[in-house]
Amino acid sequence: MEEEYEILENTVKDFNTKYVDNNSLKLENEVMGKEFIKMLADQGFFSMMAEESDATGSDVKALSVVLENLAKSAPASAVKVLLANAFSTLAKERGILDAVGNGSKSGTVTFSDLLMAEGQNGNLKIDNGRVKGEKEFVLGSDSDFVLTLLNSGELVLLKSGFTVGKKHKRLGFRSVGFSSIIVDSSDYEVIAREGRKVLRKMYESFSIPIAAIALGMSEGVSQKALDYAKVRTAFGHYLKDFQPLAFDLTSLIAEMDILKRYFHDLLSSPINRKEAMFLKQKALGLAKDISKTSLQIHGGYGYLEDFGIEKFYRDSMALSVLFHSEENDMEELATMVFESKAGFV
Amino acid sequence: MDFELNDDAKDAIVKAKEFADKYFTEEVAEMADREERFPTDIVAVSKREKILDFSNPWKVLVTIEELVRRDPGLGISVTISAFGAEIFMFFGNDAQKEKYMNPVFAGQKTLGLGVTEAGGGSDVANIKTEAKLDGDSYILNGGKMFISNGQIADYFLVLARTSPPPSPEKKHRGLSVFVVDSQSAGFSINKLHGKLGVRATNTAELIFNNVRVPKESMVGEEGKGFYYIMTFFNISRIYVAAQGLGIAHGALDRLVEYSKKYGELSETGELKESIQLAIAEIATRVEATRNLTYKAASYLFKFTPNPIITSMSKYYAAETAVFSTRRAMELMSLHGLTSDLERFFRDAKILDIWEGTTEVEKLIITRMMLKEGGA
Repeated sequence: MEEEYEILENTVKDFNTKYVDNNSLKLENEVMGKEFIKMLADQGFFSMMAEESDATGSDVKALSVVLENLAKSAPASAVKVLLANAFSTLAKERGILDAVGNGSKSGTVTFSDLLMAEGQNGNLKIDNGRVKGEKEFVLGSDSDFVLTLLNSGELVLLKSGFTVGKKHKRLGFRSVGFSSIIVDSSDYEVIAREGRKVLRKMYESFSIPIAAIALGMSEGVSQKALDYAKVRTAFGHYLKDFQPLAFDLTSLIAEMDILKRYFHDLLSSPINRKEAMFLKQKALGLAKDISKTSLQIHGGYGYLEDFGIEKFYRDSMALSVLFHSEENDMEELATMVFESKAGFV
Repeated sequence: MDFELNDDAKDAIVKAKEFADKYFTEEVAEMADREERFPTDIVAVSKREKILDFSNPWKVLVTIEELVRRDPGLGISVTISAFGAEIFMFFGNDAQKEKYMNPVFAGQKTLGLGVTEAGGGSDVANIKTEAKLDGDSYILNGGKMFISNGQIADYFLVLARTSPPPSPEKKHRGLSVFVVDSQSAGFSINKLHGKLGVRATNTAELIFNNVRVPKESMVGEEGKGFYYIMTFFNISRIYVAAQGLGIAHGALDRLVEYSKKYGELSETGELKESIQLAIAEIATRVEATRNLTYKAASYLFKFTPNPIITSMSKYYAAETAVFSTRRAMELMSLHGLTSDLERFFRDAKILDIWEGTTEVEKLIITRMMLKEGGA
C-alpha cells in the first residue's frame, strides 16, 4: 500500500481506538451524537470528495481507505461518511459543501433512484415553482440537504421544505435515518438536467468505496470470530481445533485476503470501471458469507447484540441492498465482460 | 407411500391460517419485534381456541409450519408453550403427568426446558449445574442460558449433575432431570435483550442459588438425564424443522408476490430469468425440506424415530430458511429490506443454532450412519 494510504489507515485506526471501539454498539443502534459527527468531520472524513477528483481518482481511493477502516468497528459510521462524500461530489454550492464538510450540516443522496425501476421509489415533481411529492427509501433522511431525482429526470438539491415521512424498517445502520421524505419545497436547486446520468456516474465511481466498507466489515467480523475461536472451548477442545469451523473461516479469510490484494492493486492504479465493479460484487458477497460464519462460530452469543457480531450480519445484507442492485449491476458487468449488451433476458 | 396429509391435518392448516389472518397483523408483529415483547394476549387466545391440538402430532407440526410462515416470532411464541413436555410423556410418572404435563397440554400452564449453559452450548454433557441430595430434597446450584419461555414459564425441566462422571470420556453419565417451579426460593431470571431475531419469543438466563426441590421432582431415573434430553431433541428437532420450513416458505411467498408486482420483464414478456431460476431453486428447497421433515415426523409419530432423518431434516430446514430469506432479500432489494422479509431474514439464523447447531446435526448424521452401516 502506498505510504499516503498507510498514514491514512493509521489515522483511522487511532480514531477507532479512541472514539469508536468502545462505543460501536451505540454508534450502530442509536442516533449518532453531534459530538461524534463533529469528530468525524474534524478528521476531514466528510470532505474527502469536495474538490473535483483528479484523473487517478485519488480522492476516491483515500476515501476507500478511510471507509474500510471505519467499517471494521462501526459500519454505520462508514456509511455516514460515504453518504456525506457522495453528496459532496454532486453538490456545488460552497457554503453547503463547507457546512457538510465541517459536520455542522448533513447531506445525502437518494441511491434508491438507481436501485429501483423508475416510479417505484415515489414521485417528485415541480409544480408552480415548488418541488412536491414523496420520495421513498431515503437513507440519511434525517439530513439537512437531499440530492434526489425528479420524475422528469432532473437532479435537484433540496435545501429545505422536506420532512421525514414513513419510517422504514431498519435491518442495518440503525443510527442513520431511513424513511421516505415528504417534500413541498421552493428552496431547491437543479443540479443537472440529465440527473440520472450524473447520479449513475457518481454511483459507479463509488464502487470501490462501497467495496471498501464490505471489506472492512469482513475484516472486523472475522477478527472477532478468530479471537473467539481461540478461547472458547467445546467438547474439550478450542473451537479453532475443529476442522469444519477452522476450514470454513480459513477459506473465507483466504477469499478476503485475495480481495484485499485486489483492492490495494486498484488503489495504486488508474481506476478501471469493470475491475471496480468486480471488487464491489465480490466484496459484498464475502461480507455476507463471513458475517454468517462468524455468527455461527459464536453460537447463541453471536445472536445477542452485546457480542457485536449480529450487527455485521444485519449490516452486510443492508449494505448490499442499499448500495447495490444485483440485477442491474450484473447486467452492467455482463455487458462489460461480453463487450456487447448481455444478460438482459 | 402417500404424500397427502390427512383431513385432520388439512383442517389444522386452515385453522392456523384463519388464526394468523386475524391476529398476526403486521402492526402486532412489528411491535413485538421492536419492543422484544412476548405476545401474551395472542398466546392466551391461541390456547383458548386450542390452536395446537396435542392429541394429534401431525396437526401440531403443520400448525407450527403455517403460523411461522406468516410470522416467525409470533408463530414460535404461540407454539412453544409446551416446550419439553414430551419428557414428562415418555419418562415422567403418573403424578408428574397429572400435575405438570396435563395443565401444559391444556393450555393452563407454560413449560420451559433448562439444558444449555453459558459455557456449554452444544456440549450438553459438560454442564456444570449441580443437584445435591439433602435429606428428602435436592439442592440445585448453577445457571442456564438462552432458555425459551424463561421469564414466562410456570415450570422448568432442568438438567443437572447428580453424580460425578465415571471418567472424562463419560461425562454424559450422572446427569438427571428435575422439574422446578418458577416460584421456588433461590430461583431467579434475567431476561436476555438484544437478540438478532425471534424477538417476540421470551428468552432468559436462569439462575439456581440453593434451590431446594423435593425428591419427587426428579423426572425418570437418576443418572439418565442425558439420554432423556437427547431423546427429546430427537422429537423437538422435527418441530424446529417445521419452523425452518415455515420461514423458507414465507420467504418464497414474498418473493413470488414481489415478482408478480415488481419483477422486471425481458423483451420476451417473461420475468427475467435470474429471478425465475431463483424462485425455482427456493421452491425446490422448500419442497425438499417438507419431504424430509414429514418423513422424519412420519417415523417419529409411529414411535419408530429415525435420528438420522431427524437431524437431516433439522439441518436442511435451517439451511433452507437462511438461504431462502437471503436470496429473497437480494432479489427484492429495497422492497424486501422495508417489508416483513427483513424480520424473516433475522429470525431465520437462530435455526442454525438452537436445538443443536447445524454442525452438530451433521456429525450426528454421519456418526449414526457409520454406526448403522447406512442411512
